[in-house]
Amino acid sequence: MSVTFESVRFGTVEISEEEVIEFPRGLVGLGGLNYTLLNRNPGTDFRWLHCVEDPALALPVVPPERFFPDFTLQLSDEDQAEAGIEDLSQASVYVTVRADPNPFEITANLRAPLVILAGRGFQLINTAPDAPLQAPLFQPAPAGDAVRSADAA
Amino acid sequence: MLILTRRPGERVVIGDDVLITVMGVSGHTVRLGIEAPEGISIYREEIWLAVKEENQAAAAADPDALPLSPPQQGEEKPPETES
Repeated sequence: MSVTFESVRFGTVEISEEEVIEFPRGLVGLGGLNYTLLNRNPGTDFRWLHCVEDPALALPVVPPERFFPDFTLQLSDEDQAEAGIEDLSQASVYVTVRADPNPFEITANLRAPLVILAGRGFQLINTAPDAPLQAPLFQPAPAGDAVRSADAA
Repeated sequence: MLILTRRPGERVVIGDDVLITVMGVSGHTVRLGIEAPEGISIYREEIWLAVKEENQAAAAADPDALPLSPPQQGEEKPPETES
């Protein structure tokens, strides 16, 4: 069975039923119930978490380990139980991305990752100590090349 | 806004299934225990606000605002986009 939905960004989108991810609690401040992950930026790690019921509701996301090798995910016992996750390593984890025309201004929210397992997803609070709300996705070249940030001026 | 005075150990009930217990008071700090059904999310307000803001900012993205070429693989290469 396939599912077809409209997207203001991507037009008519057709996915298979298995690609639908239910977020029983929606996303914080955005709601939404059924989402899917679209790969509309081939060759990059960006995916779009797109709401199936709302043509305008979509967020760019990335798998955090691709950009943050030290990323760790810690959940409260309550969150882990509610999400029905016995083994975190079985889950797919994505973080939302705040886009920007300047790549060095693009940030990811490591504090509230999306944890997806067996067709269900939850946006949960990461209780790990080093999990900023706005972690730069790309680091400018190491020391000595900082002048580049003046390009935007 | 409804304002209630409670002592440690006393509770407030919201609806039929949300139960808030004052666990203790110490100086300017109040410890609350909250029991709520599955499906009701509970956050500290400042976290909830911050995550909501990040989500809304993320949802405003245009596909063109994402880099299509390196440095998207996490390698520390600044883009060579001098024009």
